[in-house]
Amino acid sequence: MNWKSLIPLLHKEFLLEFRQRYALSGIVLYVFSMVFVVYIASIRVAPPVWNVLFWLILLFASINAVVKSFVQESGARQLYYYQLADPATLIFAKILYNSLLLLVLSVLAYGVYSLVAGNPVKDPGLFGLVLLLGSLGFSIAFTFIASIASKANNSATLMAILSFPVILPILLTLVRLSSVALRLIQDTAYTRDIWNLLAIDAILITLVFVLFPYIWKD
Amino acid sequence: MWWKILSVVLLIYVLLAGMLVPLKSGIQRAEPAYARTKQEIAVRFYGYNTMFSKAAASGIRTWLYYDETYALAASRCTALNDTILEAVFRMPANLPEGRQSAYLNAIIDHPAAGASLLPAAVELTQDSGIVAATLDSAWTARPVHQLHVQTGFSFPYQNVIYESIRNTYFHVPMWFVLLFLFGASVWYSLRYLRQPAPENDRRASAYAGTGLLFGVLGLLTGMIWANYTWGKPWSNDIKQLMTAVALLIYLAYFILRRSFDEYEKGARLAAVYNIFAFASLIPLLYIVPRMFASLHPGATGNPAFGSQDLDNTMRAVFYPAILGWTLLGLWLANLRIRYQRLFDKAMGLD
Repeated sequence: MNWKSLIPLLHKEFLLEFRQRYALSGIVLYVFSMVFVVYIASIRVAPPVWNVLFWLILLFASINAVVKSFVQESGARQLYYYQLADPATLIFAKILYNSLLLLVLSVLAYGVYSLVAGNPVKDPGLFGLVLLLGSLGFSIAFTFIASIASKANNSATLMAILSFPVILPILLTLVRLSSVALRLIQDTAYTRDIWNLLAIDAILITLVFVLFPYIWKD
Repeated sequence: MWWKILSVVLLIYVLLAGMLVPLKSGIQRAEPAYARTKQEIAVRFYGYNTMFSKAAASGIRTWLYYDETYALAASRCTALNDTILEAVFRMPANLPEGRQSAYLNAIIDHPAAGASLLPAAVELTQDSGIVAATLDSAWTARPVHQLHVQTGFSFPYQNVIYESIRNTYFHVPMWFVLLFLFGASVWYSLRYLRQPAPENDRRASAYAGTGLLFGVLGLLTGMIWANYTWGKPWSNDIKQLMTAVALLIYLAYFILRRSFDEYEKGARLAAVYNIFAFASLIPLLYIVPRMFASLHPGATGNPAFGSQDLDNTMRAVFYPAILGWTLLGLWLANLRIRYQRLFDKAMGLD
């Protein structure tokens, strides 16, 4: 882990995103379309359904946002990075960048979704924290899976089948925490769920650091 | 070679002993299940695997048991046939500790078949009227004593589970074998990352494949058990769902292996995913099930099946069952490894 090369790597991600604005716009449009599809398909969205559908929208949007993070750069450029930075720094920069991207996406999705389908959130502070934790967890799992899937020919299919079982514990915990924020369930011990989520994140990120060098080395 | 024979011998023993050893006698229900104080009542006990008519008339003793100090003995027991016993109780005038009602456990002691217990068999309610201050002496007149213990080789009787207790030797070991095999698979995946030899990859994939087979078998035997005790084979219990998802992870592993043109790349990335998947099994099997209600023993406060439910007779079959199934799993994995080795040699890959 090299902190000095972290900043340039992060900067590179932002620059890349800025130069390929159509990709980001595509994802934002994707989220908006899904929100409208959900609304049109089920005009009145009751809070429990609101909750589940919101996280499903975020799940699909996140997969699509993260999957490009390895395929957008050519093999030759990957080789160039390989000579400049160590793999741990590289993946950490990507995870950090994707977390920010997903956080922005989820806030946008929340805004549009609550505009169209109503806003049943009763505890905005907790909900904000859940969005933050969600972006972090999704980012760690999806960035890692994307790095595996990008090596294969059928990367879109692989991304979906490889990440769903892995993301499930995170998603279930998030839905549960967000039902607390919507006051759908009474749970005074929800901090335990937050710790569970952080523990899962910690396990995943440790594995990512250990395993990523083997993925990257071609 | 010897361990293959051992595995066959153990599994034959497990099949024979697990299926043929009888259950201990037990009480299924009592009728009527309600009684009032000062009432003389004939309670019929419906037994399972009991031999009520095989004992002498005075041989069977029956109690309604409140706690260690207070118990009511039946004044007369008549065996109507082998499975129905009629016991006549004269209910006392009041209940211990000034209670208005209490559930009494039934204890039936048979000289040959031993004692059996039915929890909360009869509810005794205080009749209206003036309640005497001093406790009726019937509670302490004939305490529970000198219970017979059945010495033969037999499995415990449990309500709801009944004969399906034998599934313990098939359903539970599947998960032991699954964990052993998935563990071995991760071990060889780690070795592959350190030293990329095709042999390590063959082993990792063969152990994962065999583990998957045992997972499916564990799910199926669990469904048989669920059908019998929970009412239907698939009730979307969180334990069932998470197990199915865990198996999906390993199916994804096999799809990943086949998604690459180069053998080395597929083997390396599959090894990475295998380690990642094994680590995500921990939240799937240990964290998530605790967040939801489950019917499965060992989850959300249900007593774990094992510690107090296994008696020595069951242990004598259960431990050989684990060893036997594990050896069978290793044998199956070994056949897959040898087949793959020959296949790779024939294709010129190794």
